Amino acid sequence: MTGTLSQIFTLTAKDLRIEGRTRQSLALVLVLGVLVISVLGLGLGSQPAIATMGTPAILWVAYLFSGVLCFEKTMAIERHDGALAGLLLAPIDRGVIFASKLISNLILMLGVATVITFVGILFFNFDLSPAPGGFVLIIVISMIGFAAVGTLFAAMVSSTRLQGGMLAMVLFPIILPLVIASTQQMTAMFRDGVAPGGAGLAILGAFDAVFVVVSWLVFELVLEP
Amino acid sequence: MKSRALWTIYWLVVAATFAGAIVLVFNYTPNESTMGLIQKVFYFHLPIAICTFLCCFCNFVGSIGYLINRKRKWDDFAAAGAAVSVLLCTGVLLTGMLWARGAWGVWWTWSPRLTFSFMLWLLYVVYVLVRASIESSQKRAIVGAVYGLVAFLDVPLVYLSARLLPDIHPASIGLAPSMKLTLGLCFIPIVLATIGLVYANFRVNVARRQLAEANEQLNLQTETAAGGAL
Amino acid sequence: MITAEATTSRKPSVAANATLPVRAVNLGKSLDERPILQGITFDIAQGEFVALLGANGAGKSTLLKTLSTLITPSSGTLELFGHSPRHHAAKIRARLGLIGHQLMLYGDLTAHENLVFFGRLFGVKNPAERARSLLVTLGLEKRADDAVKTFSRGMAQRVSIARALMPDPELLLADEPFAGLDAPSTDMLERVLAELHAAGKTIILANHDIRQSLRLAGRAIVLRKGRKVIDDAASTLDVETVLHQMSGGA
Repeated sequence: MTGTLSQIFTLTAKDLRIEGRTRQSLALVLVLGVLVISVLGLGLGSQPAIATMGTPAILWVAYLFSGVLCFEKTMAIERHDGALAGLLLAPIDRGVIFASKLISNLILMLGVATVITFVGILFFNFDLSPAPGGFVLIIVISMIGFAAVGTLFAAMVSSTRLQGGMLAMVLFPIILPLVIASTQQMTAMFRDGVAPGGAGLAILGAFDAVFVVVSWLVFELVLEP
Repeated sequence: MKSRALWTIYWLVVAATFAGAIVLVFNYTPNESTMGLIQKVFYFHLPIAICTFLCCFCNFVGSIGYLINRKRKWDDFAAAGAAVSVLLCTGVLLTGMLWARGAWGVWWTWSPRLTFSFMLWLLYVVYVLVRASIESSQKRAIVGAVYGLVAFLDVPLVYLSARLLPDIHPASIGLAPSMKLTLGLCFIPIVLATIGLVYANFRVNVARRQLAEANEQLNLQTETAAGGAL
Repeated sequence: MITAEATTSRKPSVAANATLPVRAVNLGKSLDERPILQGITFDIAQGEFVALLGANGAGKSTLLKTLSTLITPSSGTLELFGHSPRHHAAKIRARLGLIGHQLMLYGDLTAHENLVFFGRLFGVKNPAERARSLLVTLGLEKRADDAVKTFSRGMAQRVSIARALMPDPELLLADEPFAGLDAPSTDMLERVLAELHAAGKTIILANHDIRQSLRLAGRAIVLRKGRKVIDDAASTLDVETVLHQMSGGA
């Protein structure tokens, strides 16, 4: 068990170290997220009230596009120079590769989401104070499910050499329940003053549970040297 | 030749039962009071919806089958299920939109049922499109199987999340006995057509793959022969 | 006429069956309905240096990738160190190394970091020390802390070799490692292979240069269109014969 954990740690540390070195990918992902928010902000500029109530949805659009770019980039690191083959030659369980990629993606996305959220709150005058804890909880739970399927599909798409845009295409229909459930929870928290819970939260939890497990099980089938 | 005759008979039966269903729907069942003629769309909407789901299940079975034992026939079956489910789901969406027009005066609304149909449609349209973009048949099969598995597991979550959306109209529909009978009978042509379409699609996929295999063998022999002549 | 069988075959020694590094029986691999390997059968004993020859598309890369467990065969059986890759992949992977066209390194990490990383994954004790000593052996100690993406092809390939050697593998698979190498790196690689061979490691080298291969290796296996057409001691072969068989022989 400790062997597995230390392998996951080694792999995740490697991903984060590379990200820290280049910082180029992270910058691109952040800029994309901020650009999406800006486009929506400018588009809705004449309707400030709608923008404020629609902030969770606007944030989601930004998370989705920057998330897709982030997952593509973390996978591209493995494809460049065939490093993935080096990993596959090692006596490690393929599930370990998945777990480490998931954790790396999650850490990166939570960082990106934090920045995007601050920008969104600023641009749309969204008041987080009624339920800041609830907001963070919903975002974190949603990000786990998003990163799980995103990691699996990024590996899948990168092994087929399809053009860019394919990852967004396969990912978006699958994660729609996350978007619906989390925006519903946000509306309940910020408009109606209700604590997070009920069917919406259950859907988010179920999504995470099902897709973390399924992606972990199926991951090695989409890895191709 | 025999199979062609069987096929012709099969589709004639489907056409006949379909014609019969239409007769029943328009002549036998009474017009519903609030919606009038458009309500009759429901007799087809429900069977098509059920069959769509059955096709999605076929895709799921095919995907799992391929993931477990990598025999291409499972992939052929999965692809057939998805293709027919997109076709049927388009029907669900169109009949659903007709219903929305009749019941609420709008062509579209983000009601749970319509939204669910649309998200289901998206899931499997993407399946078909992505498969079509992959050249390598082996990669196509594995990508299809993984996506098909994930998509089907997503369906209950899609359904539940759609239910979170505000619903304009309560879902219950009171049905007179004649309506229930007609509804039941409308299932027959649609289920038969679905089975026929999935099977036909499956056979086409298998034949196409076998042709590709034969071509490759021929290529190999031709190349080897040319090499020997040197 | 086209020869589908090997002209001669090496017979495996009965006593060493259980621990043969490689035993392939009727190995086949198809990709998208196209057969890439067909009916490949051979045994490789501990300490052999085997050259794998063949024209482009003959299946050399695919065969090496299959032997390295990166690819699963479509048919036939494969045993590495007496184990089946299907069930004991981890045990097998710890004992072999692969060098290929691609570096299998992370360009943004330094040479030393790359080696320590892969060393950890292979369960190497004291990976940092082993990495240092390998870098010294391969003449890279001055660049140990530079990012691999700044290296020339020859130097990067040396780091890749070091990567493969980190766990001190008993079986080394090399897929055209000399491609694109400058002369000093070529010499160094030949020296490394010779030393490994002298130390009793088993080496399978896929190569384009027939003369070089016959000089380095003790045995040569030639593939044509996915089938084995020669399997013989290198000393009994010459370049013309090999070329002849590679292109179709009559």
